[in-house]
Amino acid sequence: MRKAKAILNDQRILLAIVILLMVIIVGTISPKFVQLSNIMAIFQQVSVLGVLTMCMSLLIISGGIDLSLGNMMALSAVVVASLLMQGKSLLLAVTAGVLTSTVCGLFNGLIITTFQTIPLIITLGTGQIFNGISLLIAGGSFLQFENKLNFLREIKLFNYIPLMVAIMLLCVGFMGVLVNKTKFGRRVVAIGGNEKNAYLSGINVKLYKIIAYTLSGAMVSIAGLILASRLNSITANAGSGYELDAMVACVMGGVTLDGGRGTIIGAFLGCLLTGVISNALDILGVHAYVKIIITGAIIVTAVVLSNISSLKRE
Amino acid sequence: MNNMNVPLITLRSISKEFPGVCALSDVSLDLYSGEIHCIVGENGAGKSTLMKILSGAYSPTSGQIVLNNEIYDELDPETAQNLGIQIVYQENDLVHSMNAVENIFIGREKTKKLGFVDKKSMYSEAKKIMQEFDIEIDLSVKIENMSVSDQQFVKILKALVNNSRLLILDEPTSMFNIEDSTKVLELVKKIANQGISVVYISHFLQEVLDIADRITVLRDGVVVKTYEEVKNITMGDLTLHMVGRPIDKFYQRDKIKISEEKRLEVCDLKLNKNSPEVNFFVKKGEIVGIYGLVGSGRTEIVRTISGADRFYSGTIKVDGVSVNINSPKDGIAVGIAHITEDRQQLGLNLCHSVLENLLIVKLQQMRKSLLYDYKKQGSRVQSIIDKLKIRTPNLLQKVIYLSGGNQQKVVLGKWLITDAQIYIFDEPTRGIDINAKYEFYEYMTELVKQGKSVIMISSDMPEIISMSDRVLVVRDGSIKDEFTQDEINEQNIVCSALGVAI
Repeated sequence: MRKAKAILNDQRILLAIVILLMVIIVGTISPKFVQLSNIMAIFQQVSVLGVLTMCMSLLIISGGIDLSLGNMMALSAVVVASLLMQGKSLLLAVTAGVLTSTVCGLFNGLIITTFQTIPLIITLGTGQIFNGISLLIAGGSFLQFENKLNFLREIKLFNYIPLMVAIMLLCVGFMGVLVNKTKFGRRVVAIGGNEKNAYLSGINVKLYKIIAYTLSGAMVSIAGLILASRLNSITANAGSGYELDAMVACVMGGVTLDGGRGTIIGAFLGCLLTGVISNALDILGVHAYVKIIITGAIIVTAVVLSNISSLKRE
Repeated sequence: MNNMNVPLITLRSISKEFPGVCALSDVSLDLYSGEIHCIVGENGAGKSTLMKILSGAYSPTSGQIVLNNEIYDELDPETAQNLGIQIVYQENDLVHSMNAVENIFIGREKTKKLGFVDKKSMYSEAKKIMQEFDIEIDLSVKIENMSVSDQQFVKILKALVNNSRLLILDEPTSMFNIEDSTKVLELVKKIANQGISVVYISHFLQEVLDIADRITVLRDGVVVKTYEEVKNITMGDLTLHMVGRPIDKFYQRDKIKISEEKRLEVCDLKLNKNSPEVNFFVKKGEIVGIYGLVGSGRTEIVRTISGADRFYSGTIKVDGVSVNINSPKDGIAVGIAHITEDRQQLGLNLCHSVLENLLIVKLQQMRKSLLYDYKKQGSRVQSIIDKLKIRTPNLLQKVIYLSGGNQQKVVLGKWLITDAQIYIFDEPTRGIDINAKYEFYEYMTELVKQGKSVIMISSDMPEIISMSDRVLVVRDGSIKDEFTQDEINEQNIVCSALGVAI
């Protein structure tokens, strides 16, 4: 009995059960839902969010947050697109994109740690800056880059798994190992769990935070590439709102906003759940406006449910 | 005890001043390898300050720390740890979402190639130390699922893996039952036997007499006595040294005639299901002092009376009528003013003006109107500002810029404006200078002269003794003793608070 309770308290298992239930119910109503091609489509739909959720979960676990991720992703993608449009090589364009968002992440990390400011507000501000720069580059129009990023969709591993899905899963695996198995990751968890204690234990708290923001920035560029590939074009505003979705996925997955708690797998399952909900509602033919309401309601329910277990903890 | 001749660490004439208070003056202390040195004293005697200087969390105003023939004017946490000084703080300093072994090695993780954490070798090293000192805990359990006593062992283990030479334990058993305390004490003896110097701070004098090799008594930031031998000492001897202040430490207050009418009665109050019942009363014109060690439950009791916390059962009567107090709003409605313990967190809106802070409670009682202009309310508060001599350039000054004493006056002022009848002061003069202190004593006397009633919680022994008409001593959540008139003296109060037979 006690074990059963412990299992139900584990956010990951709870989410997996919810996802499984949805798959079974929706699959019975509409068998199309459980076809392999549709399941792959769901993964493809969440691939951008999946990578961003990894960045966000690292930062939230470290006790921070980054609300500029969406705009940072768009900026990185805009840089890549505009270079491709100028006929530069793919390698150069991608390198520039990765550098752009890495610098953005470093910038966030430096401001937050140097001036001891609240990440929530600072990153809202820096997000505006990134958005403005994207607008300056893109000029408010669609940047088309002649299908040069299509390979992310079209190359399929084992004839089934699109490259972008494989990359997302790789990011999840990387972040999972980083947070759980490495000294860096465990120190980040320690900082998020009890910053004062981490400092008194001799950890260079500032440095670790800066690295976390920078690393998250670097990873954001991957999400940017996937986004550009999926849209086959990019605009300066293409990323807005993604940061909030990533935050919701984290919280649903048991990564609590006070830091130091939660798992990468949980966050990924949270992200997958949003994809499953959205796809299921489409397949069931739910009206688009009603779909928004239902999505919101499921998010609220999931977060309330996960909070009940933390209420018990106190 | 080995190596009795050369001290491991010597503290030379350490003094520490905080604004308005001298926490330590001219404290000298030798600490030897392998000894258990206990430090005792009342609340605020300077024990924790001294330990924080030793562990590098504070730097001393003057004095020196000698270690390894090196002289340090101050230490910082990193240097102290590198020198082998480890401190186990009273408050929880673990990461709750991580397991025991990870907590033990935070900041000193063992790694394999590529920065991967080597859990196996951390487990085996922790196991080794656990065997050495006979500690038994499950290292894979998360801290949040551990008992308080196991958490304490984790903290001690964390200190031990870092090659400690001096281990400071600040009230390690304060939250334990007797069985768990015994385990901790056994552990402390083993640690000392390994040649590590242990500094042990505790309020439990029996515990201290059981394990100490030497005992130092602190009072008001001064070393009163260091016992080189503990064989023939009794708890009575220790308490005698903890008290015994010179007469000029005490304020002389005008005593006034107390009415026989009870203003506030607290009957069978239980804070939660299993807590003891609390009964007491306060008469009109009376100052009742409440003394107890930190953690004895004094603040919790008054918080329920003012409505800040809910209680489990019991009745509260004001002027003989039983009242329902479920929130601070209810408390205010029956005329209870609660001058809370922490003025910066609980008593004030620091970035608001003096005017707004003074009116925040009164506002609820004023005639309701939709719009409200703070700046036109100056006349309401001017008399209070004059009366309390609040030094502020103008009414719109933010209180964050006032001195501690003036901030505390603003807290009192906001309640005086409401014309409350019962005033609860929780540590009213902590951290304010002596002149402001005396002014506060005058205001309190003034209040009881007007027939109002005062409950005063204080850790400041001279304050309790000179101000109170009656003293209640709280221990383990219940009122253990009541002292009046001649019974109000340091010896009685300290013995009662510590649970020592007089």
